[in-house]
Amino acid sequence: MSSLFDTMLRMLPHRAPTGLVAVGNPDRSSPVLLTGNYTVTVQRVRRVLAGQSVWLLVADSNGINVWCASGGGHLTHHDVISAIRTSGVQDKVDHRHLILPQLCATGVERSRIEDATGWTATWGPASAEDIPAFLDRGEHTARQERSVRFPLRDRLEMAAMWIGPLVPSLWLVLWPITGAAPAAIDAGAVALIVLALYTLFPWLPLEALRGFPVYLVLAAAGFGVGAGLMTLTGLLHTGTLLWLAAACVVGTAIASIDVAGSTPLLASSVNPSDFVVELIPDRCTGTAECVLVCPREVLVMDGHARKVQIARPGNCILCAACIVQCPTDALRFRFDDGHVVEPDVIRRTRMNLLGKRKTVPL
Amino acid sequence: MNRTPPTKQASTIEVVTFAFMRRLESTPGRYDRGIALLSGGRIGSVYQRIAELVARPGVDVLDIGCGTGGVSIACAARGATVVGIDRDAGMLEIAASKSGAAEWLELDATEIEDRFEPSSLDAIVSCLAFSEMPPQVQDYALSIALSRLRSGGRLVIADETEPETRGQQMLYRIRRAPVVALTWLLTQTTTRPVRDLRAALSEIGFAEITTERPWPSFQIVVATKPS
Repeated sequence: MSSLFDTMLRMLPHRAPTGLVAVGNPDRSSPVLLTGNYTVTVQRVRRVLAGQSVWLLVADSNGINVWCASGGGHLTHHDVISAIRTSGVQDKVDHRHLILPQLCATGVERSRIEDATGWTATWGPASAEDIPAFLDRGEHTARQERSVRFPLRDRLEMAAMWIGPLVPSLWLVLWPITGAAPAAIDAGAVALIVLALYTLFPWLPLEALRGFPVYLVLAAAGFGVGAGLMTLTGLLHTGTLLWLAAACVVGTAIASIDVAGSTPLLASSVNPSDFVVELIPDRCTGTAECVLVCPREVLVMDGHARKVQIARPGNCILCAACIVQCPTDALRFRFDDGHVVEPDVIRRTRMNLLGKRKTVPL
Repeated sequence: MNRTPPTKQASTIEVVTFAFMRRLESTPGRYDRGIALLSGGRIGSVYQRIAELVARPGVDVLDIGCGTGGVSIACAARGATVVGIDRDAGMLEIAASKSGAAEWLELDATEIEDRFEPSSLDAIVSCLAFSEMPPQVQDYALSIALSRLRSGGRLVIADETEPETRGQQMLYRIRRAPVVALTWLLTQTTTRPVRDLRAALSEIGFAEITTERPWPSFQIVVATKPS
């Protein structure tokens, strides 16, 4: 029940207590895994770790999930250093080794943790579900575990998260205006739009024109179904039709805001889109740190040349994890107009105001 | 890379989305306005009061969680040598654009020990930063502050707090809710009341702990490192 409640409220920052959590019966040699203090995240990590004995170090991510907090500067190496020093973990284990969630790589600089605390850090898998397999394998990620997935189950969870509050509130708002039955059809049409959006998500061309054609088609389809139902039930008037159209537009707009936040899968729609990640081969020494943190399998290691290659540029969602982590500054952003944004700027401000960074260097 | 060229004609949905995301994107830029709103325009006088308590020529001051630099700049104006630390580079960027009179470092409160020697500071100040920290971090920061101060050095912590009497507490919560909501909508900035730090301060070893309340829901705690 509380988890259902948390899911419905997941849009809002939702703080779990920070500090060290014992999962199972950990001892002085058990692994230490880091996560952020978003309630839903902590619950999920604890659930997938059932049966394991590990220490979970909950850092202060302002109650935001690991990916969004790291990209927005709310979960950084400062929070990790702070967690190591203030949680008492150093008295609980004999080793000095931390497993980081891969998706914090946009904000947490691994090397800074090691410099400040003497703790070494390893990148864990992108999805919490893969942690047990990762641990069994001796703390190595398989290639597919470094890639962000958005399976049907998760997509339906997102749909439920929006349908939950949206449908009843739409119905309640429209009821006094159009009557209960037409309002129910309006709310149902919106539910259908949201459900279609998330069910069909992997196959929708959301990158094209910032997704506008997709949203137009979805809104029109919801409107069509609603109008059909109104015809069948004899509720079709100009008034009810106009409110149905309004509900479909508003519902689609709200859902599109969430899709704009699906940044592990799509490039951010806030930032400009006229730039790419650029590799400077002369600076690359083949540490492959970038390969380990890329959530989209864009980068691969060329074993012969001992250098990294940008193998699948079309997959890139411009998250900058690779740029932030490269120990030799071999990656940076290049805009179509020739401006470049260097790694030190990204490390300080991440993706915030990127459009400004290209012309006003810090 | 194959990317669709951006369209010039922004859709309504896109504009709404864009405006919404933009607002979330550059909080440091709106921080000063948000804090001014939340404090009812009184925050400037707090910055001045903190500076008055500790700053004069020749003293070394550390400002923990300096944000956009309000307290640091007020201390520097009184001739103190000031280092402002904050974990948010965006905040420091704004502080640096306001004044070069203080040194600005990207450091968390739990990283003071990495840059400052024991007994190397005359004063440590902090305004609206402790309320942002989890309790265990507050305690850690207070211990480090004690060790980094010279004997007789002063710690000043200014933060929002719950008023002392029950009636005032009720009034405070009722009055605060709409202000917090409005400020969040306009600037994505908010504050949280800090717990009463006096017990923690005396337990850690500070002496001469005094409290000022410039208004009922705000307190300035002053403590001294004993000789």
